Amino acid sequence: MSCDGDHCVTCSDEAVPMRVAEVRAGALALCDDTEVMTDLVGAVEPGDVLLVHAGVAIARAEA
Amino acid sequence: MKFVDEFRDAELGRVLAAEIVATVEPGRHYKLMEVCGGHTHTIYKYGVDDLLPENVELVHGPGCPVCVIPMGRVDDGIAVARHERVIFTCFGDMMRVPGGDGTLLEAKAAGADVRMVYSPLDALRLAKENPDREVVFFAVGFETTAPSTALTLRRAKAEGVRNFFVYCNHVTIVPPLRALLESPDLRLDGFIGPGHVSTVVGARPFEFIPSDYGKPVVISGFEPLDLLQSIYMLLRQLAEGRCRVENQYTRVVPYDGNPQALAVLSEVFELRPHFEWRGLGFISHSALKLSPTYEQFDAELRYAVPGVRVADPKACQCGEVLKGVIKPWECKVFGTACTPERPIGTCMVSSEGACAAYYNFGRFAREREVV
Repeated sequence: MSCDGDHCVTCSDEAVPMRVAEVRAGALALCDDTEVMTDLVGAVEPGDVLLVHAGVAIARAEA
Repeated sequence: MKFVDEFRDAELGRVLAAEIVATVEPGRHYKLMEVCGGHTHTIYKYGVDDLLPENVELVHGPGCPVCVIPMGRVDDGIAVARHERVIFTCFGDMMRVPGGDGTLLEAKAAGADVRMVYSPLDALRLAKENPDREVVFFAVGFETTAPSTALTLRRAKAEGVRNFFVYCNHVTIVPPLRALLESPDLRLDGFIGPGHVSTVVGARPFEFIPSDYGKPVVISGFEPLDLLQSIYMLLRQLAEGRCRVENQYTRVVPYDGNPQALAVLSEVFELRPHFEWRGLGFISHSALKLSPTYEQFDAELRYAVPGVRVADPKACQCGEVLKGVIKPWECKVFGTACTPERPIGTCMVSSEGACAAYYNFGRFAREREVV
């Protein structure tokens, strides 16, 4: 994920769905190649889909 | 991916478009504002406006965080970036926003150490990797982005990082909406509410729009069908004489927001007494600064920030575009002197800016119309 291309998801108000690949210590998770803060969505497990904005999961995309 | 693909279904889109046509009263003009720049982007990218009847007009609101940053704040950021020990970090679009004295990209070309990051957490990581440097993060964004900065600062504090600073330009969505609603030259029938800001703050903060101003609000998701459904819900409210906050984006937005996010925001930030918005002027209590508990990370206290004030270029009409008073193509410099490659105004910089979105996806349709 980057700010290139036709769309800067970070500068916008958008969040993108990302799947958790690995759970890390300190309320962090590896989603694709990005380390994401998961403080706002509680405990996560590999396979969970999170809505990620600017490196933080702001919601879960799937219940 | 689930929750994405089904909201791009063309057949369902046509069904919704037909429902919209059946709901509008012929002869009545509807003016709806999409508050969020992400919505503007979706509308043009997927041609949502082409599916609407002619008497339903979409007006682009002030919800692009890059577009509302005044030039003076960019100049102040560049002044910080020029400090010898500083690594200045920011999101991609901010690099190209012109201040009165060039862009951060130009400052980088002239020797300043300016780096693009994906998140504030990346900037904090950079600080830990470079203990002999001072890393400053140019924080922009509404309530969607502010929690990311807040959580990063909480980590920096817990880990005792002393070479990480935040140049805080976070803004809040409700005060500029109120300012817009008070504006005498703006006549709107309803609002498409910002989906991801609402993930954090909830739908409740928008209740003042129906209660104080008599306009309906529908909080909307970002896929094309989300927007069509939200427009339909607004038109239904107008047809039935109802006026309330409705939530189309229920799969993500809780009515009362995210309590953890609200807690970290109130821990790390406090409201500034006033903040200047591009095109809207000074608005009280419309932006955030670091709270006293976190002031050791405040770049504005760490460095001599000049506090530059720069008037917008005369030819640029970003202010009117942000207020929805004119369409992007009605600006004198749109697509000629001001293009995404060489923007004069901020609305042309970010892909969420109304001008850039229109330039990239909508201008050909407009040209066809003119011909």
